[in-house]
Amino acid sequence: MAAPRLLLGFLVVLACFSETCFAAISFSSLRRTLVVTASHPQRLLKAGEDKIIVTWGLNQTFPAGTDSAYKTIKVQLCYAPISQVDRAWRKTVDNLSKDKTCQFKIVKGPYTTTNQTSEWTIERDVPTATYFVRAYALDAKDNEVAYGQNTDAKKTTNLFEIQAITGRHVSLDIASVCFSAFSIVALMGFFLAEKRKGSKAQQ
Amino acid sequence: MSDIEGSPGSSMHGVTGREPTFALSVASPMVPTDTTANFDLPVDSEHKAKVFKLFSFANPHMRTFHLSWISFFTCFVSTFAAAPLVPIIRDNLNLKKQDIGNAGVASVSGSIFSRLVMGAVCDLLGPRYGCAFLIMLSAPTVFSMSFVKDAGGYIAVRFMIGFSLATFVSCQYWMSTMFNSKIIGLVNGTAAGWGNMGGGATQLIMPLVYDIIRRVGATPFTAWRIAFFIPGCLHIIMGILVLTLGQDLPDGNLSSLQKKGNVAKDKFGKVLWYAVTNYRTWVFVLLYGYSMGVELSTDNVIAEYFYDRFNLKLHTAGIIAATFGMANLVARPFGGYASDKAAQLFGMRGRLWVLWILQTAGGAFCIWLGRANSLPIAILAMILFSIGAQAACGATFGIIPFISRRSLGIISGLTGAGGNFGSGLTQLIFFSTSRFSTAAGLTWMGVMIVACTLPVSLVHFPQWGSMFLPPSKDIAMSTEEHYYSSEWNDDEKKKGMHSASLKFAENSRSERGKRVASAPTPPNTTPTHV
Repeated sequence: MAAPRLLLGFLVVLACFSETCFAAISFSSLRRTLVVTASHPQRLLKAGEDKIIVTWGLNQTFPAGTDSAYKTIKVQLCYAPISQVDRAWRKTVDNLSKDKTCQFKIVKGPYTTTNQTSEWTIERDVPTATYFVRAYALDAKDNEVAYGQNTDAKKTTNLFEIQAITGRHVSLDIASVCFSAFSIVALMGFFLAEKRKGSKAQQ
Repeated sequence: MSDIEGSPGSSMHGVTGREPTFALSVASPMVPTDTTANFDLPVDSEHKAKVFKLFSFANPHMRTFHLSWISFFTCFVSTFAAAPLVPIIRDNLNLKKQDIGNAGVASVSGSIFSRLVMGAVCDLLGPRYGCAFLIMLSAPTVFSMSFVKDAGGYIAVRFMIGFSLATFVSCQYWMSTMFNSKIIGLVNGTAAGWGNMGGGATQLIMPLVYDIIRRVGATPFTAWRIAFFIPGCLHIIMGILVLTLGQDLPDGNLSSLQKKGNVAKDKFGKVLWYAVTNYRTWVFVLLYGYSMGVELSTDNVIAEYFYDRFNLKLHTAGIIAATFGMANLVARPFGGYASDKAAQLFGMRGRLWVLWILQTAGGAFCIWLGRANSLPIAILAMILFSIGAQAACGATFGIIPFISRRSLGIISGLTGAGGNFGSGLTQLIFFSTSRFSTAAGLTWMGVMIVACTLPVSLVHFPQWGSMFLPPSKDIAMSTEEHYYSSEWNDDEKKKGMHSASLKFAENSRSERGKRVASAPTPPNTTPTHV
């Protein structure tokens, strides 16, 4: 009797690895009830150096009680459409569990009815791209229930560009040159030494 | 044994000539042992080993084997080192899908040319220096990853690192100087398979190294560059080991190699002609592109695929991707073994069927891999795909030695080049465009594998048949001797240049399978004085 149960248990576990196990929340089902603004220097922003000041809060035109379910706010840095072209790993899909638009967390904290501000230094692993800022309101179960973003619905306004760090370092470059030189010199050294030994033996 | 036709001892009546192609050892008296030699392994008159003792490091034969395959392994590690780190690299260098795909194509294209040059280098400098030169001169290309700042640089560096895959040639060449030709098939097959494992090992090594460097405190965009120092240092270490521990010949003398004249006595033009005009060559060039070629392509894309499609962590995707390449440990020898077993029962027709079945199964599992929506199914499909494709590689080289005796070297080389070319082609068509996703690319690649494996049914040997046709009924054409001596013209036959081919023809009668009867009694051999 244990074997069929074991098999069933195994199949259930296996099935849970597939995404269909989780209730899918779609972006189009969320209401845009939050107002989000992002202020920053009006030029190309540098990762690791520049700061963005993000402000968010409930849109006061909505009736009171709209935000009764909101427990947490998650503010994220999201790719603008131009940076998603030919890059399927940044694709926007409606199913939020599969959506790859917003990959960087700016701040996550408890929701308050008053407007909140946060200053964020752009992290050093943010790639070169064009971005906007989006805030999700989460309920007690950590499911998204509402959102707001600093750009319009078509994601064309208020976008900003960030320039990533190169990741290169002078010390790395020098080490690279040294190791390469060692490789070539060692090879030539062996070759010439053996040639000399060979010609000596022939003499 | 007399040479007079019909005299006692010259008849082939009752001789079966069964000889396994993949043998672990060759016993006397087939190849006599040189008892005056003082080596760890029994050797023949040229001091080449007659026995393949896997877990020994004895100088010089087994030590050469291990130095050789580990060098080849190292070059595979560095050629595919970027693949599991692509999710980080693509953000650092702002790559698009086309750039990633083009870099993958570049990484396998370089070696098409470098492998052709390597043969000449080994002839000039010997395989030990050929291997050492290549592996130590390609170390700077690995280190230059730390300078890359855009797509162009990335593609160029991957192209240059890819040249190092020519160690395949030095590896096989070196072992043919150390191992008797009767066991060289298995020895070379094992070395090739174990070298290919490097493409799998790198998917484990690189994310692990990257993780460690990140924990120490580096940012992602610097950590991946530092990670490349590991394969780079492996190049230097292996190069030094090859130079200090290796030797060109069993007796240690490179100069005697040159004195004996290892230069081919045959004319290169003729050898090339007979390779190129044999249609079977081109069928196998195509086929190898869809067994080895798709293996290389998958090495390049599979880690990124699992990372993106199933939202895995980088090192988890690397572990899964590694199982694909590591299956080479057993899958490729298994393919050779299956081919040999089928040949015992059904002859060459069995070999052809085994190749078709393995490669088509691989294609079918590739289709399944592309369509799998859940992680466990995808992993299962990937493992079955790897076994199918890699066993097909092994099975291919179970057939190649029989296509031609005179042009075996060039045909092997062309087939190998076809593998790299197929890899470049599949990456270009399926994985360099945003028109379809990587999942769809895998599915269509599987379809192309199945389609491009069909031509194996066209390969027909008059003496053995093909997949669907029996051997020729014509008495003259249905002998192995006729097939192999047709590569020589009458002048050359008069000079006796085809004697090695005739000997090979005798030995290849085992490819008739169970049907091996003795050769038909030649006419005019009944002695007159009976």
